[in-house]
Amino acid sequence: MSADKENVHNRIAVLRAERGVSRRDLATALGVHYQTVGYLERGEYSPSLHLALRIAEFFEVPVEVVFSLRPFPRLGSAP
Amino acid sequence: MKDRRPGVRERWDEQRLAALQTDRLPGWYATRRRRRTLVGAMCTALGLLWVDTGVSWRLAPSDTAMITNFVILAVVLAILFPAIVLLNTATRGTTSLRERQLDERQIGERLRAYTIAHRLTLWLLVAATVVVLNTGSGRDAHVPYAAIVLAAISLFMTHMLLPLLVAGWRLPDPPPDEDDDEQRENGATRNGAEDGNTGGGGAPT
Repeated sequence: MSADKENVHNRIAVLRAERGVSRRDLATALGVHYQTVGYLERGEYSPSLHLALRIAEFFEVPVEVVFSLRPFPRLGSAP
Repeated sequence: MKDRRPGVRERWDEQRLAALQTDRLPGWYATRRRRRTLVGAMCTALGLLWVDTGVSWRLAPSDTAMITNFVILAVVLAILFPAIVLLNTATRGTTSLRERQLDERQIGERLRAYTIAHRLTLWLLVAATVVVLNTGSGRDAHVPYAAIVLAAISLFMTHMLLPLLVAGWRLPDPPPDEDDDEQRENGATRNGAEDGNTGGGGAPT
C-alpha cells in the first residue's frame, strides 16, 4: 500500500490552540513524549487506535472530529 | 505502610531519562544533515576498528602493529564517545532507554532501527565469513591473537552501535520546541484555524 493511501489527517494543533493546551501538557496527559505530539501535528506520525481514542477523550470530542482519512474542510468553505 | 524507596537501578534509569531529554550542544544534531554527518563519523570510526583488525592480522606481533593499534584506538575513542552521546541525545534514547520509558512512536522507531541493524549485521557477518574463508592457508593458518581480540571488539562495537546509527540516520527533524516558536506557533495556529486541518502522513501503527 502506498504511503499516500495511509495518510491520516488530524486537527490536534487546532484543538490544542483552541483549548490553550501546550504541547508538553498534552504529552504529559497522554503519557507520550512531547516530540510525539509535534510529529502527530505535522502528520509525520499516525497514532495507534488506542492513542487516537485517548486524544479524542482528552479533548472530549468524538474521534472523527480529531482524525480523518480525508483532509478536513477549510473553515468558511462550502459544506 | 512505608513508601518503597527507588533502587539504584530505578534511580539510574530516571537520571538517564532526564539526561537524554536535556539538549547538549544542540547545534551538532539540530538538522538531519548534521545528524547524518555524526553517523558518518561513527561509521568511519567503526571502519577504522575493522582496518585495525586487518592490520593486526597482517602485521602482529610487531611494533608497527602495536603502534598502529594504539593510534587507531585513540582516534576511534575520540570520535565515538562524543558522537554516541550526541546521537543518543538527538534520538532521545530511542535505542538505549528501557522500553517502558518510551512511547509508542519511539518503540516503533526502535523496532525499525533494530530490524535494519540486524539485517546489516547479518550482511557484515556474511562478508566476514567470506573473508575468513578466503584468507589464510588452511590447516597451517596462523591468526595472531591480537587480530582475534580486535575482530571480537569490532564485531561487538558494530553490533552495539548499529541500531543507534540507523535511528540517527532515519530521524526526521523534530518539531521545534514550543518555547522557541511560540510566536510562530500563534501565527500558524491562526492559519491552521483557517485551514481547519493539519497533518496527513506517516504510516498508521
